[in-house]
Amino acid sequence: MAGAMDIEAAETRLKQLDHSEQHYFNSYNHHGIHEEMLKDEVRTRSYMRSIIDNKHIFKDKVVLDVGCGTGILSMFAAKAGAKHVIGVDMSTIIFKAREIVEVNGFSDKITLIQGKMEEIELPFEKVDIIISEWMGYFLLYESMLDTVLYARDKYLNKDGLIFPDKATIFVAGIEDGDYKEDKIGFWDNVYGFDYSPLKATALSEPLVDTVEMKAVVTDPTAVLTLDLYTCTTADLAFSCPFDLRAQRDDYIHALVAWFDIDFTACHKPIRFSTGPHTKYTHWKQTVFYLQDVLMVKSGEKIECSLHNRPNEKNKRDLDIKIEYRLDTPDPNRQAEGTCLYKMC
Amino acid sequence: MVEAYPPSESSASSSNNSENGRDDAWLQADQDDGDDFGEQETVQVISLLDDKVFDDAVAMIKYCKDKYRFDFLAIRDNLGLDFYGQVKLINYVRQNVHEGREVKGESITAKDLEDDGLLKPVLEDDALILCLDELPAPGAQEKKDGKAVAGADGEAPAVDQLLQKNAQLQEELERLAQQFNNYRLAVQKTLDERWGEDDTKAAESSKAKGAVSGDEGEEGKKKGPEEATWYFESYAHNDIHETMLKDTIRTEAYRDFIYNNKNLFAGKTVLDIGCGTGILSMFCAKAGAARVLAVDNSNILDKARENIFNNGLDGVITCIKGKIEEVTLPVDKVDIIVSEWMGYCLLYEAMLPSVLFARDRYLKPDGLLVPSHTSMWIAPVSDEEYVTENMSFWRDVYGFDMKAMQEGTYTNARIEHMPTDAVCGTGTGFRMLDLHTCTPEDLVFTEKWQTTLSDKVESLDGFLVWFDTFFAEDRNEKIDASLTWKEWADAGRERVAFTTGPFFKQTHWKQGLLLVDKSKAKDIKVTPGQKLSGEIQYAIPEGHHRGLNIKVTWGAEGEEKQSQMWLCH
Repeated sequence: MAGAMDIEAAETRLKQLDHSEQHYFNSYNHHGIHEEMLKDEVRTRSYMRSIIDNKHIFKDKVVLDVGCGTGILSMFAAKAGAKHVIGVDMSTIIFKAREIVEVNGFSDKITLIQGKMEEIELPFEKVDIIISEWMGYFLLYESMLDTVLYARDKYLNKDGLIFPDKATIFVAGIEDGDYKEDKIGFWDNVYGFDYSPLKATALSEPLVDTVEMKAVVTDPTAVLTLDLYTCTTADLAFSCPFDLRAQRDDYIHALVAWFDIDFTACHKPIRFSTGPHTKYTHWKQTVFYLQDVLMVKSGEKIECSLHNRPNEKNKRDLDIKIEYRLDTPDPNRQAEGTCLYKMC
Repeated sequence: MVEAYPPSESSASSSNNSENGRDDAWLQADQDDGDDFGEQETVQVISLLDDKVFDDAVAMIKYCKDKYRFDFLAIRDNLGLDFYGQVKLINYVRQNVHEGREVKGESITAKDLEDDGLLKPVLEDDALILCLDELPAPGAQEKKDGKAVAGADGEAPAVDQLLQKNAQLQEELERLAQQFNNYRLAVQKTLDERWGEDDTKAAESSKAKGAVSGDEGEEGKKKGPEEATWYFESYAHNDIHETMLKDTIRTEAYRDFIYNNKNLFAGKTVLDIGCGTGILSMFCAKAGAARVLAVDNSNILDKARENIFNNGLDGVITCIKGKIEEVTLPVDKVDIIVSEWMGYCLLYEAMLPSVLFARDRYLKPDGLLVPSHTSMWIAPVSDEEYVTENMSFWRDVYGFDMKAMQEGTYTNARIEHMPTDAVCGTGTGFRMLDLHTCTPEDLVFTEKWQTTLSDKVESLDGFLVWFDTFFAEDRNEKIDASLTWKEWADAGRERVAFTTGPFFKQTHWKQGLLLVDKSKAKDIKVTPGQKLSGEIQYAIPEGHHRGLNIKVTWGAEGEEKQSQMWLCH
């Protein structure tokens, strides 16, 4: 059981943080979010398999779990034979994790530390493996990747491993007329009033929701691949030109983005996707509505570029810009535009 | 803006006047000072508003006040001007007088004095500027005036005057804010059409936002609890307003009451507390209100302002940013207060005390509150499937025991829309709040409740709490707590009311589900037809004034009761 003093001290520390940071960590204090993440089978099973099915990698290793939450990944690692696991989390959920680790008999194998990775002291100078479930919506929104990279640079042995170690963001064009009408068109007439200022805001806020595979009109294209061994926080601000090729004659109302996650260190590489073509995850997909509706013919290409950078004020928020150009022989279908989005 | 007057320009003009270079002018001034000491000590203060000359600043200021009703000290104190601010004020007045414009003391605002170019003296060697430190300190004058008035007629008129002045200034500020906003909209529209500007716009808006939230942060520090800031910030996003607007049960009830009762609104002054996107204010304006004051402390107010402008209702609706307890309204009293203040389990988020404050401060004795009444209901729940689905999960999570995570499920009220057949007994309307008469003390209470179990009961899994909302046209209407929204609305002519209960369409409030912790509770035998009774208590948790504690006691009639407490936060 966590001492009341520990919790109080942790809460005092939390209160000293910036508002946005406080909100970020506090939102993880609630059970609902952990329930949702644990019930996300695609996510949790992928981690479980990549750890438990690779005992040869984890046996007798020192493992660091960055953002351990309820401690599930730490327990997977302990079960896989790790010499010791250190779980770190800023949120007060870690006191629940301590109870959980204890009732499951891992207290001697798992050390849980409440605090910011940048401020705490680990009982080991170096670790052999870093495990972390750091991904946010659109991979990078409210993500903990910067903390993982900090931990990598400070604590990971030279030949240490990271689980997962690769992440890729994909983008495709979708037909989404009905939903766009419901989410965006709604503001044109709200009980008889013109609400267009909120329409502008709605357009600028990427929508986290599930997209059906049949809505996807173009081939998917990768816009960012992160190698966790080598990437730096500077890579989180990126620009990528890309083409989307239409697979059929249709309309395009929005671009959809999702990500794939790879555990390449496994005996048999494990990958899971959060795309519209596969099973539901709690990350769903991220939809960016375009100003125009594009009319595309099968085989045509839309030239696009995506620019992402962490917001200057709150680095967990993202400023995203998407440019698109449909160059067709038919001047009526020509379209070009730039959209600015803010994930906050 | 600061760059608009580069230093070179002002030095150039001063060198023109003094026919020497800048440095020489400074030397000259030093020498002059030396001379002054030797030769003469008298100063000549030229009147701000005409050519009269005085021996000292105080006399000149008194003259301006008496003759032109231009009160330099009052302006200084109202705008909180520091030394440079006063210098700017002097030059602002002199410049206007010089150019033949009439200067009205009460219409000068801080905005007028923003221009740093005003630091440049209009009068060379303006003695008034040199004498500024001789003027009475802020407050001294007020005291003097206060005493004089108090001597004659008591203190009340002075206070009234100040309040009136304050309201006038507030209105002025609002007018300017609106003007600025309209201007901004015009600029934005132009910019929107030009893609090249978008980056700048984004940078600007993020800067502006930074400034705003910076202010709020500071306010949060000043006002103590940070949860206040969070509370208002949480309403700054679109999605929460989208959810509320798309809650048709809620929004249409307000719309129907307002549009069906245009006679009540025609020509009236209406106060909308927590106006959000401005929808209720616009309903009232459309219904013929002469004036609507829309108050909100969230940044969503900026959007409300744009909405109101776009719908051509900015002539009727005035947006005021701030907490209702702290803003000064441009009117003394209003005819109608409209507000959508209801929270989960009705009282979570505790916005009602603000509405009651506004009622006592601003509503005319015969004024109307919209809505007029709310009532709270409780009923027993039996839903085995729900319980197992939600509880059994933690027993085995990928092979691990995570029962530690269950704790909150029994200590927190869950917000769920339960299916009608989960309700396993009759409901009790345990509290009716007549919003015209209730007080903040009425929001903390213990009431009796009872139920007759139905054949839906398998086991007693918990309790469901919801509320009904009534829109009476008459402030004297009395509604009994046991009357449902439907019984009231359907009786006689058509009236507007709605429920957030489990027997009707879902609203964004859903219901409050209080699950009984069966590991602690005594298992009581339940059979159809059986009567249960007990008490329900609403209380405010310590240190979390927007939260809510609900305690329920229950038991078979005549038998020992048991109790459990749930938190909403």
